[in-house]
Amino acid sequence: MKDISKSVEKIDAKEKISGRMKYVSDYKMDDMLYAKTVRSTQCHAKIKAIHLPELPKGYYTVDYRDIPGENFVKMIFEDWPVFAEETVNYIGEPILLVVGKDKAVIQSIIRDITIDYEPLKPTFEYTKSEVHYHYTKGNPKPIFDKHNQHIEYTYKTGYQEQAYIEPQGFIAYLEGERIVLEGSIQAPYYVKNAVVNTMACEADAIRVIQTTVGGAFGGKEEFPSVMGCQLAVAVHKIKQPIKLIYEREEDMEVTTKRHPSKIVMTAAIDSNQKIAGLHARVALDGGAYVGLSSVVLSRAMIAATNAYTIDHLDIEGDVYRTHTVPNGAFRGFGAPQMIFAIEMFMHHIAHTLKIDPFAFRMNHLAKQGDLTSTSGTFRDPILMPEMIKKACDISNYHEKVKTYSDPKVRKGIGMSWFFHGCGFTGSGEAKHINAKVKLKKDDQDVVHLLIAAVDMGQGAKTTLMKVASHVLEIPLSQIRYANPDTDEVPDSGPTVASRTAMIVGGLVARASKQLKAKWAKGKEVVVYEQYQQPDYVKWDEETFTGDAYPAYSWGVNIVEVEVDKATYEVDVKKCWSVYDIGKSLDDLVVLGQADGGAAQGIAYGYLEVMNHKDGKIQQKNMTDYIIPTAVDMAQTETHFIENPFALGPYGAKGAGELTLVGGAPAVALAIEMAINKHITKIPVTPEFIMELMQNDDR
Amino acid sequence: MVKHYLPSSFQEALEIKHQEDVMLIAGGTDLMVQHRTWSELPPQFDKPLLFLFNLAELKYIKKDANTLYIGSMTDLETLLYHNDTPPCLKDIIALMASPAIRYVCTLAGNIVNASPAADSLLALYALDAKLVLTSLKEERIVSIESFITGPRQTIIKSNEIIKEIQLPHQPFNRVHFKKIGGRKSDAISKLAFLGLANVNQDHQIDTFRIVLNAVAPTLIRLHETERTVEGLSLEAFKHQKDALLEAYNTAIKPIDDQRSNRTYRRQAALNLIRQFIETL
Repeated sequence: MKDISKSVEKIDAKEKISGRMKYVSDYKMDDMLYAKTVRSTQCHAKIKAIHLPELPKGYYTVDYRDIPGENFVKMIFEDWPVFAEETVNYIGEPILLVVGKDKAVIQSIIRDITIDYEPLKPTFEYTKSEVHYHYTKGNPKPIFDKHNQHIEYTYKTGYQEQAYIEPQGFIAYLEGERIVLEGSIQAPYYVKNAVVNTMACEADAIRVIQTTVGGAFGGKEEFPSVMGCQLAVAVHKIKQPIKLIYEREEDMEVTTKRHPSKIVMTAAIDSNQKIAGLHARVALDGGAYVGLSSVVLSRAMIAATNAYTIDHLDIEGDVYRTHTVPNGAFRGFGAPQMIFAIEMFMHHIAHTLKIDPFAFRMNHLAKQGDLTSTSGTFRDPILMPEMIKKACDISNYHEKVKTYSDPKVRKGIGMSWFFHGCGFTGSGEAKHINAKVKLKKDDQDVVHLLIAAVDMGQGAKTTLMKVASHVLEIPLSQIRYANPDTDEVPDSGPTVASRTAMIVGGLVARASKQLKAKWAKGKEVVVYEQYQQPDYVKWDEETFTGDAYPAYSWGVNIVEVEVDKATYEVDVKKCWSVYDIGKSLDDLVVLGQADGGAAQGIAYGYLEVMNHKDGKIQQKNMTDYIIPTAVDMAQTETHFIENPFALGPYGAKGAGELTLVGGAPAVALAIEMAINKHITKIPVTPEFIMELMQNDDR
Repeated sequence: MVKHYLPSSFQEALEIKHQEDVMLIAGGTDLMVQHRTWSELPPQFDKPLLFLFNLAELKYIKKDANTLYIGSMTDLETLLYHNDTPPCLKDIIALMASPAIRYVCTLAGNIVNASPAADSLLALYALDAKLVLTSLKEERIVSIESFITGPRQTIIKSNEIIKEIQLPHQPFNRVHFKKIGGRKSDAISKLAFLGLANVNQDHQIDTFRIVLNAVAPTLIRLHETERTVEGLSLEAFKHQKDALLEAYNTAIKPIDDQRSNRTYRRQAALNLIRQFIETL
């Protein structure tokens, strides 16, 4: 049989490249109205009065009073209102929608709306904790008492914007009494469940259909539920089709971003110059509403020891509420912040101890059979030693470290090691998601994949159809995989957490096997599969104890840079990567993930700057928010080492997030070597490098 | 809707401009962005528009013994690949915006937009560019430096159109251009530097020019400072380094904004000046 890794033409390539593919902003319907959001101009204030002009016939406003059910967007933490009521908590918070046929009229209505505010004192610091988690491994207290050499560093990370090409958008309409929402989303059932809650209706009164998604990167995981709820309320009131598409600047200013963080790491060092114990305190800036920040926090905290084994841990974390735009899901989901901190910390400990960082890290590298940070077990083979050797060989790492350590040389090379837990954290898959898939063979012997997984450009359609095609031994042309529609597909979970290939793909493989056994030519056959947690996976949600993930993907990034002496600009020369994603389901698809992940991860470390001033986002268009162009992108050399995972389809594990999480520390370590200064904050901009170089002490 | 004119000749454009208060639009790469509204709605202008980009008679690059003449509607991509374009201007254009934008944006548009961060202005300041401003009744020639008076402010009169940009031929055998954008392409400058000099066979500096953008309300060129080093031998020039740096340090007044901060802009500007001086 053919090797599944061999690439095929991406299923949707022709339609997308030719421009024929329709996105939600292309949709038009009879009697369709447009909606635009009126937003808070204050970061924290009481709304004293809203003065509306007289509305022309056929124009409407929609606000919290129109909500039939509860005024919060159902995700994890129930604090995010659909529309603001008495107070506003961030600049850009939605207060009401103006709906009507003519955009120019809508604009003039909005210009005539005035809102009286009574300003309240805002908070922008890490002071108001909304979620606090804590876990330990081993016996950290006596270890810290016994080994009195303690090394402490504080690491800070900034915002990152997903910068998907297609902004957020939905169209909603009535189908009889039912409300249908079509939109650019990653999680059809998240939207459906949130809307059912807001509308206080039966589940079958809401239908959600995914339109072709032009990029998401986590930004379309929970945020679309906010828009979906608002639009459902509007359609319920007005009873005409309504389209709500964000403008680029609106999208950048008011949608969720990567959480800024502050992470304090303390290590107790034993007499063999090894880390006996680690204490980490993680602070995430949740923004005005917690939303799903608590889950981001858990992933960050669990990644505290990254690819290393440390026996005694005391890990704490908080999500803080601030009067800024709510932060949320973004490829990596808490891991990029933590992996930046721990990778830098390993080097900073070695520098403090005056020992070779490479040897120091090798001494702590996790091995098969070791206990994870949460006292679970790394059951599967860990191939990191051979991956590290390969990455060092192809980049000539050790030689370059020697040459570039000369303080006069403004070049540097940095290496990050990392892992990423595949699938939902903890008992998420078994307890909260419980994914189902459905396969239907029709009487023409065409097989339909009925799953809620979304292709947002990452290639899920191509890879999952290949899985079915290989198991069933039928050509791809005999398989259909339409954009998910909640009327047609069961809930296979959201398309997030590097779970699609491994978990949904695994279910598709099992369902295909079942279908193959029941195959009856010319007759309709339907099969179902449901996720079952392997028996050996045990997780205690309260204490963070056990196997946090069913499997781990692993990676090594090496980045080489040169820093300009006059302008402090960083030139990223090359990026070498070696990954263990189990088994590639399509070599070009995973290479796409690897190159894109490297671009986004490295840029997070040195290029992408976003900040707020008194709660107002300063970089709100693609001119001011700088992401890498093709000219900035370093040449990449990427290798995949096969290490099949028994429960993944053909051995596949997650690949989407893994390729991002190591970029920032690799580039920061390279810059650190080039300028011979410790780096404890990203992004490492030219402005920051200048500041560091003007300080004499290392 | 916006009222607009599509003149078929420069003469007709001048007549319209004489009669009515219209906004001139060349490639539109600044104006269409500045006046954009909600997608699918036309951009919002408070004056009628007079389109100039279709005027073929304003698209030319000519030269005589002393001067290069650039028609005001010449797009940047044409300039980038023309044999007679001064090398420093080519270096600058190559890093402006993206190719698609450069095919429609014009030198004249970049001039009247009068952004303190405009890159093409570096070369125009350094090369003593002159602008031909034409109205129905008269024509006047002004220097680029007297034309721009502040951020987005020029001395152009309501009935005038820039017809031509004139660049006197001047030899320079030292050219150093450095643009600092947020990234390597398609970026607005945090600041940019152009240093030009001509060093003769006797190792004397005949001409010396430094221009900086985005470090003051308008671009910075210090004529008096330049004159203090012109005529010096390279040896004598080296002793002027600190005085030169001090002069520029005093003249520049950078600001903090969403792209960078004043401390960085000042330091990077001084570093680039030092680097240029040291490599002469």
